Parts: sequence; structure tokens; C-alpha cells
Amino acid sequence: MQNKSLVSHIGTRLLLMLIILTFLFFLNPKVSFAQPIVLGVPISRGYPDGVDAERGITLAVEEINAAGGVNVAGTKRPFKLEISDTRDLEPGVPVAEALLAVERLIIEKKANFIVGGPIRSEGALAAMDVLSKHKTVSILSAGVLSPAYHKRVAENYDKYKFCFRTTGSVIPMIEGTLGTFESFKAKKGFDKAYIMVQDVAHARAAGNSLKEGLEKKGWKIIGYEIYPTGTTDFSVGLSKAKEAKVQVLIPWFDMPEVSILMKQWYDMKVPALPIGYIHALQDEGTWKATDGKVAYSVVLYAKAGSVATKAIPMSEAFVSGHKKKYGIEPRSEWTSTSYTVVYILKDAIERAKSLEPEAIIPALEKMDMMGTYGKVKFDPKSHQIIENGDPKETAVSMWAQWVDGKRVIVYPDKIATRALELPPWMK
Amino acid sequence: MNIFIFGLVNSVILALIASGFALVYGVSRLANFAHGALYILVGFATWLFLNRLGINYIGSILLSIIIVSAIGAAIYRLLLIRVKGMPASEIIASLAIGIAIMELFRWRGFISEAYMLPPFVKGSVNIAGVFIDWQRLIIIGVGLGMMLFLWLFTHHTKVGLSLRAIAQDKHASIMSGIEPDRTAVISLAMGSALAGIAAVVILPLGNITVETGYMVLTNAIAVCIIGGLGSWAGVFAGAFLLGFTEILTAALIGPQWQMVVVLLFIILTLILKPSGLLGRQKELEERV
Repeated sequence: MQNKSLVSHIGTRLLLMLIILTFLFFLNPKVSFAQPIVLGVPISRGYPDGVDAERGITLAVEEINAAGGVNVAGTKRPFKLEISDTRDLEPGVPVAEALLAVERLIIEKKANFIVGGPIRSEGALAAMDVLSKHKTVSILSAGVLSPAYHKRVAENYDKYKFCFRTTGSVIPMIEGTLGTFESFKAKKGFDKAYIMVQDVAHARAAGNSLKEGLEKKGWKIIGYEIYPTGTTDFSVGLSKAKEAKVQVLIPWFDMPEVSILMKQWYDMKVPALPIGYIHALQDEGTWKATDGKVAYSVVLYAKAGSVATKAIPMSEAFVSGHKKKYGIEPRSEWTSTSYTVVYILKDAIERAKSLEPEAIIPALEKMDMMGTYGKVKFDPKSHQIIENGDPKETAVSMWAQWVDGKRVIVYPDKIATRALELPPWMK
Repeated sequence: MNIFIFGLVNSVILALIASGFALVYGVSRLANFAHGALYILVGFATWLFLNRLGINYIGSILLSIIIVSAIGAAIYRLLLIRVKGMPASEIIASLAIGIAIMELFRWRGFISEAYMLPPFVKGSVNIAGVFIDWQRLIIIGVGLGMMLFLWLFTHHTKVGLSLRAIAQDKHASIMSGIEPDRTAVISLAMGSALAGIAAVVILPLGNITVETGYMVLTNAIAVCIIGGLGSWAGVFAGAFLLGFTEILTAALIGPQWQMVVVLLFIILTLILKPSGLLGRQKELEERV
């Protein structure tokens, strides 16, 4: 008797649960039972760049899922995130760890696509063979500025056709930078610069290219100094720049200690405007943390979008959504690129009506959508994002200046929100 | 003038960073490889007390230094005491604690560039044509003040004299009634407090990162190798030698050569005088 009562009790509970689930399904469109599309995200989670990328991807996935998911040949399917720590930003760049993370996402987590990283070029270049072996489409959206990536795709298309990149490469980045300096020269009459770079491959390469390019355009490069990673005193270089009466400082650093350079520049009242790739200064919190000593410095973002501009409507929606979810504005360019990458994939899947690489790759090659940093188009031969033009036609980078506690876009002119300002001791 | 002022600042920074490490080794012959971790622990703790709990700046600093002293003492009392006398185990154990502390911060998301402490006094001053911020001048003051305090403490207080006694002759000190484990606990607590004082005066120059902890440990070891482990005068001599060498290298050759020159100094010291400039560890063997 007791057993019968127990069975009927369990049966009643099961029935009740079924009724609740049915109600949930019909009343809440967010609840979906369609098979999810798995996005594998291999990134270095212990470093700001990794966190930035993760935030961008998570925000986009939540927005897309809340709107019903991705329409795959008539079936609405949600995105599911599988994030794995590559640790590739650690000193020594453990490439093997990054490769394991990518392979684990594909084999164990059954990732349909790989987005985000690995972030270091060394890790991403090594992962190309893993992606090719498993025929898994990947779109890089954080770090990896080495020209070798798209060169490899162009040289061996059949093998590496699965690899796409939205971060750009250091070559168009430098070409864009030279254009920016020409614009500042025309507007402010600057022609004397002092280059200060970090002793890492990408910064040294950028420093050399900038020196050569600027000298060809008539600039006088008074000094060129290379600082070891972790340097905490820049007084000697700043004194030399001050004595030589240069008008522009060109810092190229991705180490956090660069904030010391900016504080010393401010305290020493060096009459030269810092304009460069100063990664630590991209963070919205930098103004408060440095007590405003980053004022007037002009910071390059490899891609626009992390500061809202009316010229790119998606950047406004992105910045506002990020602020709502995380309480702060997006930090680096990788938040913007990683947010857009999910929308790129959604667009490609919906046009391809399939998740198969044979359908997705041509869809990505014909990509033509507005992202947070302008129009997204890939070169069909190298799978490299097309950039440095009109934001209505190509992706664009962004130069933001710190003014009154805010980051304002001063270049390129088509997305600029304010004119370049000089510190009082330079006027 | 520029080289003199910034060379002095750089030297005092190195002396401050190395003094806690040197004190612990000098007294208890323990190489505390958690030194860098305790340094950033004070930085992050002060930041948290100031920005999350709303405690005023001085209160946050004092609280952090007290906490890190207690942690230093606990590290000895609970862990290092068990491996005492086994140098390799002591190093492994303290390094493990240090890595655990540092990576705990990374794991908990302390990885933004926005973790910075405010300077004690804002603004800068012009000294003979060289603009220098007040915080760097405060560092010079604190560094010189700390040297004086440590000298007075170790020469004119009972605890300080017992620390010196243990450092000079452990067995004779024990026979005189000095308890070595107690002095080791005091030295770890004081060494941690010195790391904390260094952190709160130096960190306002830049930002607090996990990597800073590793760098501080490396610099402290470099200063002690050159100056001589176990010698106070050696620590300051090593810090000034390294500090001015770095600035002169940056000015005359280029900043990218700073590390190379420092490493050359270390290699030369180890070849010519393995116990360091003023170290006494192997003085007798070296003479022989």
C-alpha cells in the first residue's frame, strides 16, 4: 500500500514538472530546446586582454540568445559558450598549453566554431594546424597582429581556409599610424618626434617601421629608445626628449608599467604630446587611478568601437550594453572586436543556412555587415579584415585622447568626436 | 643633476625593496622567497581597504602592514619552522607560498591596469632645473629614515640586539638565553613589514600587478647578491651601485642594456667575491 502511494506520489511530481516545463516553453521565448551552437573560446583568462575578449563575446551571446538565437535554416538555435584558458599571455608564452586548449574545445566540448584567441601570435600561428586538422572555422578577435597569419592563409589557402582574423595586422596598423601623424603634422605643425618602445617583438617592429616611415615623410626622429618589459623609470629618456624640444612622444607599450611613463611625463611637464600605442591607458579607470595624469595623451586602439561614436551606430549600442552589464565602459579594442565577432558568425550562419565549414567559409568571405568598428569585410584570399578606409566601407582603428576624465575620439576624422588638444605647458 | 637625482631615487627604491629580504636572511638565515608576494599583498590590501571598505589612506596602510606582518610571522610559525635547516626545502616552501599568494590575486581577477595607490603628496617640484614629483622625494626620505630606524633598532633596543646576536653567532646567543625561533618569527614579521612599507611608498609611482611581485623578488635577490647577504651596509652599497648603474646605462648606452649590465655585475661579483661586496658568509674561505 505504502509502495503504491510512493509510486503515485512520484508520478504526480513528474506530471507537475512536465506541466511547468511546458508552460515555461510556451510563455518564455528565451527558453529553447534547440541544439545549441557551441562557440569555443580559447583565451588567456588571467590577463586583461583575455578578460576583455571574454566580456565582449559573453555580452554578444547573451544579446543574441535573448533575441531568440540564430536562425539556422529555419530553426532558432542558441549560442553556447565553452571558454578555455590558454595561458598564452604568460611570460614564456606556453604555446603547448594554448594548443591543448584549442584541441580540447574541439574534441571534448564539440565546439562548432572557435572565436577569440589564442591571443599571442605564437599561439595562434601554431593553432592554425589544429584548426585545419579538425576542419573547424575560427575567427580571431583578440591580439595576434603578426602579418604571418594572413600570409600563411594566402600561401596555402586549401589548408588554412578555416582561419579568419578581425584584429588586423601590424602592417595596416603602421600605415594608419603614419597617416595619423601626417594629419597631426598638418593640423599642429609637429615634425620632431621621440620614439620610446617596449623591448618586445611587435613594439620593436612598430618602432622601426615608424622611424623609417616618418623620416621618409620629413619628420626628424630625435631619439629612439627601447625599454625592457617591467621598466619603472623613464626619467632619462623624458629628460632627453625635453632637452631636444621634441613636439611628439611616440610610446609603443603593452606593459602596465607604462602608466609610470605617463605620470613622469606629467610631473616633469615635458612639452611633447604622447601619441602612441599605450595599451594600459585604454582602460576607462586609468584617469582615476593616475589622478588625471594621463590627460592629453592620445591612445591608439587597433580597432574602433570601445568609445561610442555616432558615425558607427553599433558602437553606441555596444558601449551602452557593456556599461549596463559590467558597470564600466569597454576597456580595450579586443572587447569591441570580440563582441562583433559573434554577430559576424551569426550573420554568416544565417546566410549559409548551415554550420558546415563548406558553407560557412564562402559566407564569411562574402561578409558585408556593419560592426562596432565599421564595415566588416574579409579579403577572400587571405581572410584578413579589410581596414583603414571609410568606416562605411572598411574596418577602422581609433585614436582617443584623454580629456577631462573621458576618452574622446580625435582621429580618424570620419569618426572623431572632438579636435586634438594640447596640454597647457605646450601652448 | 638629472642622473644624480633619479639615480638616488632608483637606488633608494632598490634598498627599500631589498631591506626586508636582507633582514630575514641576516637574522634567521632563511631566504624568504615569498618576499615579492608579501609586497604586492600590501599593495592590493591597501587598495581594497581604501576603495572597497572606505577606510582612510593612513588607516588602510597601517592595517595592511599589520596584517602582512602577522602573515609573515605565521609563515614561519606554521610552515618554515618545519623545514628549518634544510635550505632547499626552505626556498621551495617559501616560493610556493609566494606563488600561491600572487596567483590567488590573478585568479580573483586583480589584473586590471587600474589598481593604483594615490601619491602621498600630489604635484612636482623643480630642483636645479629637474622636475621631480613629491612621491619620489618622499621615497628618498622614507628610505633614509628607515636606514636610521633600523640602525637605532638593532643597536639600542633589546629585541634588535637579540636579532643581531643571533645573526652574529647563533650558538653563543642560545647559551645567552636568546630563543632562535622567537627571533626568527620577529625577523619574518619585521621583514614583511619592511616589504609593506616599501610597497606603500613605491607603488603610488605606478600600478599594482601580480608581475610586480616576481620583479621585486628578483631585484631584492640581485641587490643582496651584489651587496652581500647578511650585511646591512652591503645591501645599501649594492642598491646604490645597481641603482646608479641602471640610470647611467640608460643615459649613456640605452635603457635596453640596463638588464644586461646588471647581470654582468652579478656575474662579476660572483666570480670575484662570491659573498658579495660586504658579505661575510664565506669571508674566511675566500681569504684562504
